[in-house]
Amino acid sequence: MNINKVLVIGAGTMGSGIAWWFSSLGVQVHLVDASPDQLERAKKYCTDQTYRWATKNNLDQSLTQSLLEIISYISKEEMDNDYDLVIEAIIENLEVKKSLFKELDQKMKPETVIASNTSSFPIDLMGEAISNERKKNFLGLHFFNPAPVMKLVEIISSTHTDKTLAEDLYHWFESKGKVPAHCKDSPGFIVNRVARNFYGEPLRIAETDDEKKFKEIDQVLKEVGGFRMGPFELMDLIGVDVNYSVTCSVWEAYNKNPRFAPHHLQEKLVKEKRLGRKTKKGFYQYE
Amino acid sequence: MNNIYMDDVIINFGFASKEEKKKLLKENPDKSIYMDLTCYDPQEFYNEFPNLKGIFSALFADEAKRIEIHFKEDNPLVLEHLVSLGYQPIKTTFTSCGFIFPRTISQIINEAYYALEEGIATKEDINRAMKFGVNYPKGPFEWSQGKEEYVKTLLLELHQLTKDDRYIPNKALL
Repeated sequence: MNINKVLVIGAGTMGSGIAWWFSSLGVQVHLVDASPDQLERAKKYCTDQTYRWATKNNLDQSLTQSLLEIISYISKEEMDNDYDLVIEAIIENLEVKKSLFKELDQKMKPETVIASNTSSFPIDLMGEAISNERKKNFLGLHFFNPAPVMKLVEIISSTHTDKTLAEDLYHWFESKGKVPAHCKDSPGFIVNRVARNFYGEPLRIAETDDEKKFKEIDQVLKEVGGFRMGPFELMDLIGVDVNYSVTCSVWEAYNKNPRFAPHHLQEKLVKEKRLGRKTKKGFYQYE
Repeated sequence: MNNIYMDDVIINFGFASKEEKKKLLKENPDKSIYMDLTCYDPQEFYNEFPNLKGIFSALFADEAKRIEIHFKEDNPLVLEHLVSLGYQPIKTTFTSCGFIFPRTISQIINEAYYALEEGIATKEDINRAMKFGVNYPKGPFEWSQGKEEYVKTLLLELHQLTKDDRYIPNKALL
């Protein structure tokens, strides 16, 4: 499989990270966003990343310059139609995504693979916007934050995705240093489903809103379990509201199966606007 | 299950049925007993047996042998003995069923089995996803290897205790 030209749509944290990772491989990247400010922020991020990477790897000035120039920051109107791979990383809004996929389907050459970095919507559902001819080339490619660092890419095949394509992508990502994992189209895919209990169970062990308990549980899970972060400090970092929203969405998607039920403390903290580090208070208080 | 006898103290290790654990406590009312209670409700045992002086959770210990301990009555000799066996005891104030790590990891393992049953991904891909997507030190199936009986027992105990169906073990564990 050859991936020489990639379009990433959405220049937020995930889109920028994905775009930079492809560029670091020498792949030509076009990064699109409707907001010029967002594109400017993405450009700064990618430029800083490239300089850091160049220093770390002792790249000379001309090579560094060519890596900087390999990413173009463009508007939607400037998009080409000959990409090998298009990755959508825009806001998690089903209708907006579907409308974008319809447009991409019409614009891109028939061989272009179109992928979504969604963490919440079924690939089949989004694929409704894609023509029957394209459906075999449509799938989920779920990267993890920060995309250049985290090695996992979940490769999510819909019922129509060409199995050979999924397999080729698996080997391509593996050959580029990522750790791919095949996954069936299902709520939360692998990680966002299996990881729910890393939060849900400690919340039930703590049961009450008590920082001492959170601290002890975090400490034990790091020391005994070997986890890099405890669940409460991680929820504070991710955003208590974001984590609660993912919990609710997986729970709803599994018809309110009790294995995924949110905990009352999550709702309480969200109501009290204790959203974690970003509001300087969550499960913990921050200065 | 095996026991170490030290004067008036018994340290009980290993997996056994709840009845066997209780039998040891019943038959030794004059001994101070420190027991591995990874899979059962400590409160039930503490309430029923005054001679139970401390509990610990060694069944899920990995290579580093870090274990949670809760001693109602401090006993430096017991602590020393655990250390001499290579354990690194971490004190906890919690006496919840399954302690902290065994309970949390058992639920992660259980969900991984449900995902496997539904054909979401292979064991290998689930292990890889959790290690490289969220930096878990091990994949759920690597953690559960050889410990399936403990996971099942703990989840059944939690289910009985809480009546919450979230703890129903996947059939592959039964």
